[in-house]
Amino acid sequence: MTHSIHARLTLAAGLLLAAFLSATAFALERAFRDSAEAALRERLQGHVYALLAASDLAADGTLGLPAALPDPRFSTPGSGLYGQVEGLDKGTQWTSPSQLGLTVAYRSEGLAHGLRRYETLSASDGTPLMALSFAVLWEDERKRFHHFIYHVAEDLAPLETQLAGFRRTLWGWLGALGLLLLGAQLLVLRWGLTPLRRVAADLAAIEAGRRHALTGAYPRELQPLTANLNALLQHERAHLERYRNTLGDLAHSLKTPLAVLRGVAERGDDDTGMAPAVREQVERMNQIVDYQLQRAATAGRTPLAAPLDAAALLRKVAETLRKVHAERGIRIEIEAAEAVSFRGEEGDFLELAGNLMDNACKWCRKSVRASLERVSKPNRGGAGGTLRLRVEDDGPGIEPALAEEILERGVRADTRVPGHGIGLAIVRDIVAVYGGELSLARSALGGLSAEVRLPI
Amino acid sequence: MRILIVEDEQALREQLVGQLQESGFVAEAAGDGEEGLYLASEYDYDCAVIDLGLPKLSGIELIRAAREAGRKFPILILTARGRWQDKVNGLEVGADDYLVKPFHYEELLARLNALVRRAAGWTQPKRRFGPLTLDTRASQILLDGAPVELTAYEYRIAEYLMLHAGKVISKTELTEHVYDQDFDRDSNVIEVFIGRLRKKLDPGGKTQPIETQRGRGYRFTLQADGD
Repeated sequence: MTHSIHARLTLAAGLLLAAFLSATAFALERAFRDSAEAALRERLQGHVYALLAASDLAADGTLGLPAALPDPRFSTPGSGLYGQVEGLDKGTQWTSPSQLGLTVAYRSEGLAHGLRRYETLSASDGTPLMALSFAVLWEDERKRFHHFIYHVAEDLAPLETQLAGFRRTLWGWLGALGLLLLGAQLLVLRWGLTPLRRVAADLAAIEAGRRHALTGAYPRELQPLTANLNALLQHERAHLERYRNTLGDLAHSLKTPLAVLRGVAERGDDDTGMAPAVREQVERMNQIVDYQLQRAATAGRTPLAAPLDAAALLRKVAETLRKVHAERGIRIEIEAAEAVSFRGEEGDFLELAGNLMDNACKWCRKSVRASLERVSKPNRGGAGGTLRLRVEDDGPGIEPALAEEILERGVRADTRVPGHGIGLAIVRDIVAVYGGELSLARSALGGLSAEVRLPI
Repeated sequence: MRILIVEDEQALREQLVGQLQESGFVAEAAGDGEEGLYLASEYDYDCAVIDLGLPKLSGIELIRAAREAGRKFPILILTARGRWQDKVNGLEVGADDYLVKPFHYEELLARLNALVRRAAGWTQPKRRFGPLTLDTRASQILLDGAPVELTAYEYRIAEYLMLHAGKVISKTELTEHVYDQDFDRDSNVIEVFIGRLRKKLDPGGKTQPIETQRGRGYRFTLQADGD
């Protein structure tokens, strides 16, 4: 999970959202309860005042209330609204008819007149109640004071029901809102991370050889990264190019003197008798230079190699050979039905195809046939698959023993056999660098059939 | 035959020029690509030998520029590395053959002869003109199947006329393609060579192979067999 930026952000955002919504719900519920309780208290206060107004003080100092009470609920047994009036030292003066059969343990002590006290109580049947006790001092006509305590209590169940309803609504809305926010969050994340995904896809495209550089319009934050990657790619290619050029210069500066030396040895005007030895050594040095430089120049498959149209390259080689061997009227056929793209270095593929086809042209009587096809399909990512290049001629072919020798240990430049030798040795080395296979067999045309299989 | 050599290595360049002159060619040389392009655009050659690794202007660019300028003579490229990429590129821009250094001089000579012959539209190294046969591979002329004793210059003149059989070749053109540039153009050496060739190629005076067109030049009159 920590390996994905997307998962990290989603997890963090989800947790944060849950915490925020829970806190909000808690605060809202709390506020609702407070305000509902405050309303209840106010109502109780109102009931007390109504009862006070309806009270009638008798001459003997007892307090009575009429049968028709200000709130009819006082008159209905079990209605949830109860009232009781206590007289100080005089006992219970009045109990509302609604409280019939119920005992409520109102507390009267310690309440000076003019003060009120709210408390939650339980009725004798366990009903939770909110009670208000209010102490009054009543003066009669003879200027005597009577101390009464009015108790009013209301059932808390409706409040709890209301609260539960509110809670349900609240959580419903908050839940829906949470889901909505989470969805929006995912969309935002997706959108925000799109450039990263695009860079990844572009890199994959470069790796698959479909592109050469990161050329998209990337966001500012990613530009240093993509610029550096491009610079790296560029550097890699330039490095290869420079390396090639250096090898080219080396070849040029080694082989030109060899050409002069050979020219001198061939003039035949030397009486020292050294000419044959010089010629032989020049030939040997030449082969070593050829072979070793070729080996060094084989680029192999770099991870970011561009795709090559193998069939087009093969046709170029064929065109070159047709021109060069125009004299001999060789028929060079190319069979490449589909465009086969090969991920590798162009010079390597030309070297491989050139050597195979040149050998075939040298040894054939009239016909050379080269066929190129993709013998196994790539996987879904476009990677994988195998390319098969088969070059055949109608010449004499080569001895199985010699073929074996070339394939098994290659041919070292100084022990190589003439003819097919060095070309095939070079091909063999290139194929090995690309992790492919070279096999030699007898062709249906009569001569050699050299087959190369390369992973694409 | 007039050959252009473009090679930056002085020793090899001089060696090539010397060897080609000994073989009866007119060889002119340039040491870098720019000079090579100048010569190639200013003068008419029968063939050019161009090294790929040249200073100032690469061999590939030189060939491309020469072809774009409409120069049609065959071009043989010399490559040090023998990489197929170089060969393919060279032939793609307009070269006709390649040779990998170091090469045998005989090989170069054979390729040059073949290129010149191909440029003249011949597919075979030998061509018969009645009793005469020109063998460009062996650099000799046969009369009724027997080789004719010719000096290198005599052979080159005869070869040039036969390769351009039926066309009038001016004395200037002949001089330029068969002799060194500093040759005195007013001398009558060409007439002398033509006279000797007539005797050697037509001892009986029956076929009259070389005709003089007064004021215009010479023409090889025999028809090639099969034409």
